[in-house]
Amino acid sequence: MEKILVIDDEKPTLNMFRLFLGAYGYTALVAENAAAGLEVFRKEKPSIVFTDIKMPGMDGFEVLKQIKEIDPMTEVIVITGHGDNDLAIQALRLNATDFINKPIDGQTLEAALKRAKKRSQVTKSKEQEVSLRTADDVAIIDIRGNVSSLSEPFLLNAYEKICEKGSAKILLHFDYSSSINGAGIAVLIRVLSESKKRNQAVAIAGLSENFRKIFHIVGIAKLARIFDSEQDAVSSL
Amino acid sequence: MEGLKNISLKNKVFFSTLVVISVMSTGIAVATRWIFVSNLASEHVNHLTGKLWIPFLSIICASILIAFFISYWLSKYITRPISELTKMTDEISQGNVDIKLGFGDKIRCWEIENCKEVLCPSYQNTDLPCWYLDNTLGRGGSPGSLPEKFKACRGCAVYKKRARDEVLQLADSFNNMANSIRVYRSQLKQSKEQYQSLFNSGPKPLFVLDSETLQILDANASAEEVYGYSRKELLGKPFTDLGPFEYKEAGLSDFGQGDRHNSYGVYPRVQHYKKGNKPFYVNIHASRARFGKRDAIIVATTDITEMIEKDSQLIQASKMKTLGELSAGIAHELNQPLNAIKMGNEFVKMMIQKGRKVSEEHLRQVVNEVSGQVDRAAEIIKLLRTFGRKSGFDREKVDVNSHLKAVVAIIGLQLNLENIEAKLDMDEALPPVLAHSNRLEQVIVNLLTNARDAINQKKEAGDAAGSHVIHIRSFREDDHVAIAVSDTGVGLPRAAKDKIFEPFFTTKEAGQGMGLGLSIVYGIVKDYGGDIDVDSEEGAGATFKLTFPCAP
Repeated sequence: MEKILVIDDEKPTLNMFRLFLGAYGYTALVAENAAAGLEVFRKEKPSIVFTDIKMPGMDGFEVLKQIKEIDPMTEVIVITGHGDNDLAIQALRLNATDFINKPIDGQTLEAALKRAKKRSQVTKSKEQEVSLRTADDVAIIDIRGNVSSLSEPFLLNAYEKICEKGSAKILLHFDYSSSINGAGIAVLIRVLSESKKRNQAVAIAGLSENFRKIFHIVGIAKLARIFDSEQDAVSSL
Repeated sequence: MEGLKNISLKNKVFFSTLVVISVMSTGIAVATRWIFVSNLASEHVNHLTGKLWIPFLSIICASILIAFFISYWLSKYITRPISELTKMTDEISQGNVDIKLGFGDKIRCWEIENCKEVLCPSYQNTDLPCWYLDNTLGRGGSPGSLPEKFKACRGCAVYKKRARDEVLQLADSFNNMANSIRVYRSQLKQSKEQYQSLFNSGPKPLFVLDSETLQILDANASAEEVYGYSRKELLGKPFTDLGPFEYKEAGLSDFGQGDRHNSYGVYPRVQHYKKGNKPFYVNIHASRARFGKRDAIIVATTDITEMIEKDSQLIQASKMKTLGELSAGIAHELNQPLNAIKMGNEFVKMMIQKGRKVSEEHLRQVVNEVSGQVDRAAEIIKLLRTFGRKSGFDREKVDVNSHLKAVVAIIGLQLNLENIEAKLDMDEALPPVLAHSNRLEQVIVNLLTNARDAINQKKEAGDAAGSHVIHIRSFREDDHVAIAVSDTGVGLPRAAKDKIFEPFFTTKEAGQGMGLGLSIVYGIVKDYGGDIDVDSEEGAGATFKLTFPCAP
């Protein structure tokens, strides 16, 4: 059974996590503070970690940093207070792969788990995270897994190819499980600004609700319209 | 002889002159006769006597006439002035000082000296001779007043003219005396009127109380207006009918060194009643004084109802502001039980949707957790409600510990979020203090938020690690209850220590603080007769200690 570590100073929350994760077929490892959590992480090496941010003593950001130092491939999902988007963005800058709002919805949790699992499969399978295809006159960049500083050369490469071909319509198609961290957001903004200069029409599709929200906050939504499905996006271009 | 005493001076002079002249002429007659008898024959004498009868009679008549003129002269120059002086003295003693003696020549110094000093107070002034007038300008301007100027006047022709007649001098002196009395009297009257008008038209209600019975002996117009009673109703009424009052000396005023009549007392925020038992709030200033022959207390009251209302609104508003600032902490704290409840419920929902059976153990775990978390949320809401409630205008016996707990519970939510530990140590056997719940809580809130800000300042300066603690203690110190708040923040520079209680003084960055928190604390603590003390070392935190007198 796959192990998931949950770090939160709230015991009732940990209890409920245990029930949920058990029901989904995971082994729940829980820790009531950051130090204990890191200890469990070192020992058990779980591939997915949920951590609360506001905790007495060492906070969630510190946990996130240390886990990423130990194993950069770990899926770290931060738990934030409802509507605390600033904290979510801060966590993404520190390479968190996703975030989840308290109070936690069952479906949201399930979706987050699914995305995390898919991402770690992509990472493990060494599958190409960025690939390029064309449909009619639209150049489509498919993006999977974690978009980070590591994805930068691939993304820029794909974009260069599009420019060489002279496509005026571009679609950034994200897999629903894909995660974009701080560095990834910066690369995307660079690409989108460049395309605006070149008068290329760009649309975005397939994002999870969480990252759609983030794209709005960081201003990406102003550079490219965001759609739910690939069809909608293509027809808008 | 008794009859003689009732005879006037004029008649005494007349009769005595008459008697002297008669005796003298009789003596002359007897002596003449004796001389003649010794030298002449008796027939010759008889013949001579018969012949001298007429001259004798004429001498007697002349004597009577002389006596009459002497007495007339005396009466004119001595007895009439004396009787006028007597009349004047009688009038003065009866209180009439507006009389003048009208005999003797008027002194016209400007004519004698041929003086043209129009601005001289003596110029064309016949009421008083110039040497009685101050700052005259004649004769090179004899300055000053009597007796200094007498030196200059003694040699003056004007004065010499009068100096020969002692009776006139006496009359002048009397006139001057009456004039002085008149001047002093009008000054006294003016000063009395001034004080009376100060008392009557003083903008604050003023009362004069009997120091023994505290009955109102006098009250001014403002007292009538503010309290709604007429002056008539107020007089004789015990002052304690208007509100509680007991004269306690707060100190001696600087006016009279150690004189007990200059002691005063100050009584802030006293509830008084207007006519019809309408309550309002006053500050009372009282001081001892004399009122006629009685020991009295003068009391001034100032209506501060509006101020108290505003003050209470301010405290309320500032509490609400505090709640606003704490909203992040409160939201976080409320979110925790909500999360557990939500997750428990979502778990059961998910299991039902998937058609899976929830084990009894898991179900029990969920319902217990949900119930417990609802209680926890309700507790937080209760805290908020207690903290947000208003308190009355009156001081009441207040348990310091319960307010410490309430405030630390609320602010603790925010402190937790900012990674600051709030440690509370209370002496559970503390006596109550006289205060307003709201104001006391405001004091604690201000101290805690200040401590928090000091710690956050230190964190921003780069000392984020390490433990950040606010230690709150309550303990007894003699007959005082003490609250101490220590923090591990940036501390206070030495120079700031003296100023931190001044309004608008702040060590925080611009826009971070108004500089009012500690000055509000200071004002409230002093109002309760308490004290505040700060002990701090720059960079090593600060400790604020408040002391309040125990409630009697």
